[in-house]
Amino acid sequence: MYRIFIILAAFTFLAPLAWCQSDTTITLAGEPYVYTEWESFTEESTHGGLINDHIFFLEADGDSLWIGTEGGLVLYENGTWKSWTEEDGLPWKVIMGLAKDPKTGELWLALFGEGIARFSGGHFEHFTQMNSGLLNDVVYGVDIQGDNVWVATTAGISRYNQVTGEWAVFNEKHAPMEEVWTYNVDAAEDRVYFAVWGGGILEWDVKTQVWTDYVDPDGEMEIDLYRDDGLVHVITTSASYIDNVLWAATYFGLSRYDRRNWRGYMDIDSGLPSNFINFAVGRSGTSCYSCTDKGLGVLVDYETDTWVTYKQDTEDAETWTAHVMVGKQEIRTVPTNLDLPNHFTISVEFMGDDIWIGTGHGLARGIGNGYYEGLRGKGSSAGRF
Amino acid sequence: MRRSSILLAIPVIGCAFFFGADADAQTGASASKVESDTVKYGKTPWEYEPYNRFEKPYNRFFLDTLEYPGYGRNIPEPEHIDSVKIGFIGPIIGFASESTGGSEEIELKVNQRVIRWDGYRASHLAPIGIKMLQGSQLAVEQANARGGYRGEIPYQLIVRNDNGIWRASGREVIMLAYKDSVWAILGTVDGANSHIAIRAALKAEIPVMNTADTDPTYVETRIPWVFRCITDDRQMCYLLADFAFKKLGLKRIAALRAVNRYGRMSIDEFRDAATRLGHPFMAELQYEEGDTDFSRQLKRIQSLNADGVITYGNAKESALILRQMRNMGMNQWFFGSDRMVTQEFLDIIGENHGNVAAGYPYDPTRKDPEYMQFIKDFRNRYGEEPETYAAHAFDGMNMIIKAIEKVGLNRALIRDQLVAMSNYKGVTGRKEFDAVFSDRSPAYLAILKDRKMEFYSQEEIFSEKIEF
Repeated sequence: MYRIFIILAAFTFLAPLAWCQSDTTITLAGEPYVYTEWESFTEESTHGGLINDHIFFLEADGDSLWIGTEGGLVLYENGTWKSWTEEDGLPWKVIMGLAKDPKTGELWLALFGEGIARFSGGHFEHFTQMNSGLLNDVVYGVDIQGDNVWVATTAGISRYNQVTGEWAVFNEKHAPMEEVWTYNVDAAEDRVYFAVWGGGILEWDVKTQVWTDYVDPDGEMEIDLYRDDGLVHVITTSASYIDNVLWAATYFGLSRYDRRNWRGYMDIDSGLPSNFINFAVGRSGTSCYSCTDKGLGVLVDYETDTWVTYKQDTEDAETWTAHVMVGKQEIRTVPTNLDLPNHFTISVEFMGDDIWIGTGHGLARGIGNGYYEGLRGKGSSAGRF
Repeated sequence: MRRSSILLAIPVIGCAFFFGADADAQTGASASKVESDTVKYGKTPWEYEPYNRFEKPYNRFFLDTLEYPGYGRNIPEPEHIDSVKIGFIGPIIGFASESTGGSEEIELKVNQRVIRWDGYRASHLAPIGIKMLQGSQLAVEQANARGGYRGEIPYQLIVRNDNGIWRASGREVIMLAYKDSVWAILGTVDGANSHIAIRAALKAEIPVMNTADTDPTYVETRIPWVFRCITDDRQMCYLLADFAFKKLGLKRIAALRAVNRYGRMSIDEFRDAATRLGHPFMAELQYEEGDTDFSRQLKRIQSLNADGVITYGNAKESALILRQMRNMGMNQWFFGSDRMVTQEFLDIIGENHGNVAAGYPYDPTRKDPEYMQFIKDFRNRYGEEPETYAAHAFDGMNMIIKAIEKVGLNRALIRDQLVAMSNYKGVTGRKEFDAVFSDRSPAYLAILKDRKMEFYSQEEIFSEKIEF
């Protein structure tokens, strides 16, 4: 009996130690695609074609790109630049958001402090809180759902029906809004999501016409009690809905919700270069691109927690480096030729296999030669989740 | 049999030990960023920490200095300017239609208690806004008397109103940043307007110095452009809670607060402290701004046999509540916010005020020479006494001016310099800024005695020499 006890005790205490030691090696479950080839554009490098370097929003339109900047509206098309300022009839130069109506082809602009505008046939039609049913002129985002233009304003939500001309307003009186300061909108045919600063995420079900709110269950600003109990924080900055998955960006990390489970990501446990996420967009239900103040964090594959993070490793680095990671563990680095001078990223957009990023100083296009989704060779070895 | 069971149980326990030690990412054991148990956000005592008895949080925020890694530092100074513009935004005019037309220099003609001003109906927060403006203006005038920016260029205060309807404050900040081209902004008061303003400032990348909004959540957004040089309601509520529950031994406090954001958010830390000490509110009732009859709510509180009542709202309503309480024979301790420490409050409450205590962001009875000089200068300039909003605005504006003097005309560098001023001596005392740039210098307690407020520090409250 004594001998059996010794054997069992040895197994009990030594086997887990051995397991722990072997567990420190984290391997990739497959190879993520890394954007190594980039084109960068600044006001200087484009000789004023890009009229302002502070890029707030990007909207792909086929092979063209609409760019909302701090100094006007820009269109990049066939390698050429076209721009509009207040001299060209643009109601206000600071553009926070853009949305192309897929049905009409018209472009809607979220103007920072001057309402919204519809750009059609070379003309801007201007909607403000004084000449329309728009709730407030400080507009952070705009998106299209069917005939409706949804607007995220600092005082709540406005909705404009382009067919009936009817305006609707939603604030704390009509929706479960802890706060009314909406920061971003993402509309799909079945659901519309708002990032509500201080109020989490607000979801509008198009079919049932019911609002649902999602907040951090612990109810505290200074902690996240449990990572995966809900939203990581109520200071949300964007919502992105794709493949029945919600990606919610905050200044405290990223959350993913598949309508059953939440998953939180922070810089202490993932490939996020920073918790300060200005904007995030899902490329699919398993992949999300997060624009942070310290680079672009790309969750390439949700199931294996594989990331590629693009950032300047030092303040004077001439080019950005791609870091391939599993969770927080760096696997390797890959050099890129992305040479924008600063990695404060604000916006991202997909154009086929390419990606575009907008920063506080310049715009860049990642050339997606041979781009593939997810991981190549996935399943060949186990990655730790 | 019994010995063999014990022997077999040991490996099982061993397995549980080793596998449990590999902590699940859901719990805080392995993933928390807390460097030390002594590092606390907001100087929160352990007994007031959320979930302190149940779980270590997965992550804690606001402990690391907020960074701005953007490009703004590279923007060169302008070659020629006629003045160095600093923005002011505060509640000084009542209606949005009166606030359009661009920036203007406001000539101050009213004191705290007049409700009509230059033909416009002043907002109920105008007394606060005007005091802020007085303090700011005095700081700018003194800087110009010293020669202005680098001894050559005058500072210019650009004033915008934040109290228009339709929540106009956000647009006013945008206009200050993009049309008026100010280098920094001082303001606001109202919690909602403050949050609106700082989100705009974040996008525009311009420093905002708040000197009047004591909402604890104001700095809890990780915006690296936001500063606050006044002790907030978190610190004041901790002190009120310590006083009510630990010093006085009260156990049954009821709340009657304004339904607006100020009433709802600023009482949070007191409510949480009460709950975490085992004395949750007996009831929490509300009123609308402008209400004058609180009898229904007070009868409800009276029926609960509460041993204390706390309110959070403006001076007028707080005073009316207290007066009605005493008229109804309710003699409990009455607690409230720093907005009760005003002449307006004293004018309304009557003689029979009873036991009253309020939080306060600094000690106004100090004999500090710098503070005495400020009082004298303010009196000479405006013909009236300064108070907390004027004093804190004076400090905040001086911080902005000093930052500009040090680093020049670049918003990001001004921001960096304000960050560097983490320990600043102003007329309101020594300021200790934390990682999110909020002043965490100790709050004071104002106790009303014979219609006069007396101020006590935490140490004095708990000294055995003083009984209340």
